[in-house]
Amino acid sequence: MLSIKNLHASVEDKEILKGINLDIKAGEVHAIMGPNGSGKSTLAQVLAGNDAFEVTSGSVTMNDEDLLEKATEERARDGVFLAFQYPVEIPGVSNLQFMRTSVNALRHHRGESEMNAAEFMKLAREVSKQVDLDPAFLKRGVNEGFSGGEKKRNEIMQALMLQPKLAILDETDSGLDIDALKVVSDGVNALRAEDRAILMVTHYQRLLDHIVPDFVHVLAEGKIVKSGGPELALELEERGYAWLGIKEDETAASSAN
Amino acid sequence: MKPAPILLSTAFLHPAGQALPEPLLALRKQRGAALVDMPMPTRKTENWKYSSKYLKLTDEMAISLPTEGKTGSALAVPGYKVVFINGVVVPEASEYPDLDNILIQRFGDLSDAEASELAERLDSTLDAKAVQFAGLNSARFEDGLIIRLKPGAVLDQPLFIIHEVTADASGSAFPRIFVDAGPNSQITLVEEYISSGQESVFVNSVTEFVLAEGANVTNIRLSMDGDTVQHIGATGVTQQRSSRFESHCVGFGGPLRRHDLRVRLEGKGAECKLNGVVVTQGTQHYDNHTTIEHVSPNCNSEETYRNIATDKSHVVFNGRIHIHPDAQKSYANMHNKNLLLSTGAEIDTKPELEIYADDVKCAHGATIGQLDEESLFYLISRGIGRREANVLLTLAFINELVAQIPVDAVKDTVQIRLNQFFDQVFLEG
Ligand SMILES: Nc1ncnc2c1ncn2[C@@H]1O[C@H](COP(=O)(O)OP(=O)(O)OP(=O)(O)O)[C@@H](O)[C@H]1O
Ligand SMILES: [Mg+2]
Repeated sequence: MLSIKNLHASVEDKEILKGINLDIKAGEVHAIMGPNGSGKSTLAQVLAGNDAFEVTSGSVTMNDEDLLEKATEERARDGVFLAFQYPVEIPGVSNLQFMRTSVNALRHHRGESEMNAAEFMKLAREVSKQVDLDPAFLKRGVNEGFSGGEKKRNEIMQALMLQPKLAILDETDSGLDIDALKVVSDGVNALRAEDRAILMVTHYQRLLDHIVPDFVHVLAEGKIVKSGGPELALELEERGYAWLGIKEDETAASSAN
Repeated sequence: MKPAPILLSTAFLHPAGQALPEPLLALRKQRGAALVDMPMPTRKTENWKYSSKYLKLTDEMAISLPTEGKTGSALAVPGYKVVFINGVVVPEASEYPDLDNILIQRFGDLSDAEASELAERLDSTLDAKAVQFAGLNSARFEDGLIIRLKPGAVLDQPLFIIHEVTADASGSAFPRIFVDAGPNSQITLVEEYISSGQESVFVNSVTEFVLAEGANVTNIRLSMDGDTVQHIGATGVTQQRSSRFESHCVGFGGPLRRHDLRVRLEGKGAECKLNGVVVTQGTQHYDNHTTIEHVSPNCNSEETYRNIATDKSHVVFNGRIHIHPDAQKSYANMHNKNLLLSTGAEIDTKPELEIYADDVKCAHGATIGQLDEESLFYLISRGIGRREANVLLTLAFINELVAQIPVDAVKDTVQIRLNQFFDQVFLEG
């Protein structure tokens, strides 16, 4: 489904991704772990098409099509979804209007008719229940004044509404209380499907208790330095990154020199 | 030696001979005489600093536009309606409310006694020195509308005033409205300025509101004149004890657009809320000057203006709050946010606070920014097209103010105009 080869990317002339290689097949769940500042979000953003990051070399294909060639919105229409580590607040655009516009953009792309307001409302209510968000949130501005946990649930809600082929979840488990973690993991598990790939960035083994990944990768200094099965996450939890010869916090390390 | 200032051309000081009662003719004459040496604003004129270059009056534009045989575009409105064409009321096209306690009369229909009372009160809400062109309207109006609400009178539906100018030839129009809102009366007055035709014309409008104790007035002003219309308008408001004035000014740009809005909170506990939205494109201009005078104690003012400029257009906002020494416990809040959609556009914003009382709560803020890249990326990462994402974010900037317009039909008109703007500004792709 997704094939990343020797991907290099930089921001403001600073190289962040330094040769990423990763293959993800349909139906698989991959977890990416790694110290702060190692480039996990950068990888996620590059896949989604954020042009604040410049791809300097390498390739990414999705279902044998060149992903990097495509504009952000085309990627989304072809099934790429990114749950943001820091979802953006957009006052003045209601959550409902936002989701309906995006659901209809995808339907339009697939040659389906647009959902009318009533149909959409029915679906939105069901899904908001599934992620335990009060439907009142639909009327508020996009993420406006949402708590950290509410923002994350709103991201999962969007994933469930859009039914992507490739779901990239950037720390969707961070900042969640125990109940919310359960809700979010149930949501992610509901996304698991034969024809869907999931790439999730996380710092915590606890998420992986709920969502057992097929593969775990460790990203450090812009490269994948180790890959393994679910047991790798347990080992990291126990022994920390130092065990792999990685500095614990790359941001701290790089700002010191 | 200083060069002699360029004066307002005397061609502008000859009013047309419309049938008006004697006291109003006398007033016109007197105001005209006062303008004989009125200097035209220049870059050096403080309140015209950014806008004088857009004001281009020629002598051909001094003649009053003809009104004979003009009927206007017959806009359907959900409420009462008075149609002005080229500054003169067209009774056949108007639908007046039929209520005993609300009197709506043309200036020409007033008795000499009524006209003389009106002459005393015209211009009382506007400071002639600060709003130079209001005096020109007083020297030139050919007709006008006085709306009198008796104590406790409530107009059950909005009153729409459609001001249309027919720019089929060069000329000018001087629409005038005076609203006398008696104690505890209520009215919603919608003013729509529109035009047809392609010749250069000048519109110089004045609307005054005098609010007695407990009166509650809502004024919506939609400025939608065409691309060949220069418009200088003024709205003056005086408010007595516990009265409330709410204003929604929505303006689309033109070769010259100037609106002065002046509110005097004269009675204890009076309050006003002023909302404004301006949208400009191409080489258009729009200049809003607002002044709120807190004269008495315990008054509230709340002002929110949002401007959007694209292409090479130019928006000016000047918001002045003046708190007089006696106006203790004043509460004044003024916010102005500006959105530049292109690097060639210009927005000049200036809040001015003059506070002479010590026990007041005053806040003001002005920002200028562009569409937020992160928000844009968030939207398009969900499959929303770039054009639509731009539209959503631009609308988001003014949504809150459009939503507050209390008359749905006006909201719809604004939305249609905004959609035209988006079609021209954000191209498909
Ligand atoms: N827009 C940007 N401008 C400058 N530097 C950036 C930008 N975005 C990311 N970086 C830098 O790139 C590096 C990688 O950041 P990234 O967000 O990918 O890390 P991460 O692995 O997701 O970290 P965390 O675990 O803290 O979320 C960091 O040093 C960060 O400061
Ligand atoms: Mg990150």
